Amino acid sequence: MSKKSYAVLGLFETPDALMHAIPKLRAAKLGLVEAYTPYPIHGIDDALGLRRSPLGGMVLVMGVLGALTAFGFQYWISAIDYPIITGGKSAASWEAFVPIMFEVTVLFATFTAGLGMLLLLNRLPFFGHPILSSKAMKGITRDRYALALEAESEAFDSAAAAQALEAAGAVDIEVLPAPDRSPFLTSDYILRTLGGIFVACLVAGLGIYSLIKWFPLLAPMKYMQDQPRLNAQKASTFFKDGHGMQPPVPGTVARGYLPTATGTQEASATLVNPLPRTKDVFAQGRKVYTNRCEVCHGALANGAGSLTAAYGAKPANLQAQQFRDYPDGKIYWAVVNGKNAMPAHAAYLTEYQRWAVVHYVRALQRAQNATDEDLKVVAP
Amino acid sequence: MRTDASVHAVPIPEGLLEPALTVGKVTPGSLDDQVLAFPETKPPKQWYLALAVTLSALAVGVACIGYTFTTGIGAWGNSSPVFWAFDIINFVFWVGIGHAGTLISAILFLFRKRWRNAIARFAEAMTIFAVMCAVIFPLIHVGRPWLAYWLFPYPNERALWTNFRSPLLWDVFAVNTYFSVSLMFWYLGLIPDIASMRDRTTSKLRKTIYTILALGWRGAASHWQHYEKAYLLLAGLATGLVLSVHSVVSFDFATSVVPGWHMTIFPPYFVAGAIFAGFSMVVIVLVVVRETMQLKNLITMRHLDVMNKVILSMSCIMAYSYMMEGFTAWYSMNEYLHHGFMNIITGTYGWAGWVTISCNIFIPQLLWFKKCRSSYFWMILVAIGVTIGMWFERFVIIVISLHQDYLPSAWRIYKPTMIDFGILLGTFGLFFTLVLIFARVLPVIATTEVKAILPDAQPSHGGSHE
Repeated sequence: MSKKSYAVLGLFETPDALMHAIPKLRAAKLGLVEAYTPYPIHGIDDALGLRRSPLGGMVLVMGVLGALTAFGFQYWISAIDYPIITGGKSAASWEAFVPIMFEVTVLFATFTAGLGMLLLLNRLPFFGHPILSSKAMKGITRDRYALALEAESEAFDSAAAAQALEAAGAVDIEVLPAPDRSPFLTSDYILRTLGGIFVACLVAGLGIYSLIKWFPLLAPMKYMQDQPRLNAQKASTFFKDGHGMQPPVPGTVARGYLPTATGTQEASATLVNPLPRTKDVFAQGRKVYTNRCEVCHGALANGAGSLTAAYGAKPANLQAQQFRDYPDGKIYWAVVNGKNAMPAHAAYLTEYQRWAVVHYVRALQRAQNATDEDLKVVAP
Repeated sequence: MRTDASVHAVPIPEGLLEPALTVGKVTPGSLDDQVLAFPETKPPKQWYLALAVTLSALAVGVACIGYTFTTGIGAWGNSSPVFWAFDIINFVFWVGIGHAGTLISAILFLFRKRWRNAIARFAEAMTIFAVMCAVIFPLIHVGRPWLAYWLFPYPNERALWTNFRSPLLWDVFAVNTYFSVSLMFWYLGLIPDIASMRDRTTSKLRKTIYTILALGWRGAASHWQHYEKAYLLLAGLATGLVLSVHSVVSFDFATSVVPGWHMTIFPPYFVAGAIFAGFSMVVIVLVVVRETMQLKNLITMRHLDVMNKVILSMSCIMAYSYMMEGFTAWYSMNEYLHHGFMNIITGTYGWAGWVTISCNIFIPQLLWFKKCRSSYFWMILVAIGVTIGMWFERFVIIVISLHQDYLPSAWRIYKPTMIDFGILLGTFGLFFTLVLIFARVLPVIATTEVKAILPDAQPSHGGSHE
């Protein structure tokens, strides 16, 4: 028998024979007794003196951690980071968190039970165990029950172990070599691991990038920005003239640009200024007057605007008695339709602006022809 | 069983003994030869034929889903006010089918019902396949399924979080947890069986695959100890989970204010319905498996008998639930509830209500008779009836409640389109394709678990552990 032998394996044909042999072998104290069976055998953990599995405690701890994690996560999101009132409940009311707390508890506990059992307690996956390549393995996962005496120290005597197994009733004896536990932390291994992690990160990063940026833009996937629509300034086959942008149909009136005062100026005399005399209205009127009127009629509405010299026509002096006697409606009509050389301003002044400028013209007229009573009004 | 008898001083009369779990002589070796041989042999012609049928159905589904993607959700019959129709009906239907697997593998395990060992594997596989079919529907219903990860709460550039008060988000967590846990449970159970396959196969490729999948399982007693503990814990966790999942699914409805949905009976009613539908599907599949794969000695008539009894008891729970629905409507003195309930039995979709009631309540009453419980014809008739009935039950709950709610001006008759039916057909195709592949690739019976309950499997002096 080889010196390097690690364990001696004896096969038994029935679970009864296996159970009878265990106390004998343990009493012989030749090495660690381990059983290999096709299915769990009742009472074998006591017979082998195995300690109770700590899995229950692990699962409990992780389950509680799962519940707390879920609660903290939901509370932070719903009550602190992104509070939204739903159903009239307080943003911090915790009752709605219970279902997800339960699910996360189960999730944590399950992964602890499954992976903790495999990875931590059973140290699987491990493909280097000698029993996996032994002749007996075929029987062990089928219908044979094996006991192994495993070396605990250098002094392991495989010949004595084999004898003890035979004496205990084993039908087939096999000597196993040491498990192939390749050295773990060599520099080569570490380098390769780091390289592997780097490559994995690279692949994962590129994968996620393409998954988020490129994959969603592939053919059958549609976004709102890709819907068929007419863009202004773009050609379109939808309309006969080939333009994406169409002029409004004739007679279209924009909001606020009602074509009032379409008759003669005399007919408009009865129109009443609908705007109140407020600060805002006068401010608006002043703005319009400055932008549109002042250049011809002058800042004081006396017909002495800055354009006068270069301009052939002579703008009206609105301070003249004739215009001071005009009703509001006639000024309004002139603003909308123009008069003599004055162009119509309806196209770019809203109804509000037109009436506001009428108020402002009235104010200018009054300012230039103020009476003593006007001063009294202003004084306080 | 012998071990039970040996514990007591007085021998137990024959009639009170638990009947044998298998028929004829089954040894651990013969079990392996019988069950684990399937992946190693070439499937018969019928298998390819069945696969061709299921793959065609799957292809129809894929085509219909593709059409939905390119056209939009408008390809379906969903329209105001029935915004939820086939997609959620089928989702609830398939999640429900899955519940039988977890019930058999987890709840019956906790109750130490040892007969469940022979059928647990197949039922668990059906759970996983059914949940896979179920999740298709919410995914395609979101309209842009490639953005379905938006369902999860993760930090994002939109600075938005999900609403944790929404039962739809609870659903996301419940279904994902359910799938993960079922998969874990299934895989843990498979590990020792895959190890058996690894050690008996002669093909090099299979050996490599099984070696990796078995993770180097070697059957050490110290491993079995942790393994059994993990299995027990998982069973306990899955038990709570299976009750919660369909409860959470029912919250989708019960927490809303739609008449006919807003009822406290919904969670238990949904769970019972899920087990009901799931067991029927298991019966259908097991009868076929038992006959075509010559597993009559392992999946015995007793299994079918017991499962039929479960179906019968669930049918009675459903009958009670339906009656309570009517009672609630009447006792509430709420005209909307009245109208909703009368719609089920007399409305435009009254026929669907009566299909539900007949298939779920009347037909399963046949199972009171032992003759029906032991006859393929009757049990398949009932099982198919229940499958249809439970699908229509969800149709009744969803469509009837939605198509006429509080605002009469919004009432409308819902009509599904061919695309709706095509996708439903496709999920049946997917489900049975996966079942067929599973039956030929992995051990259909948990051999390790069955070995442990065979006569003489346990040492005679260690029986006190049971």
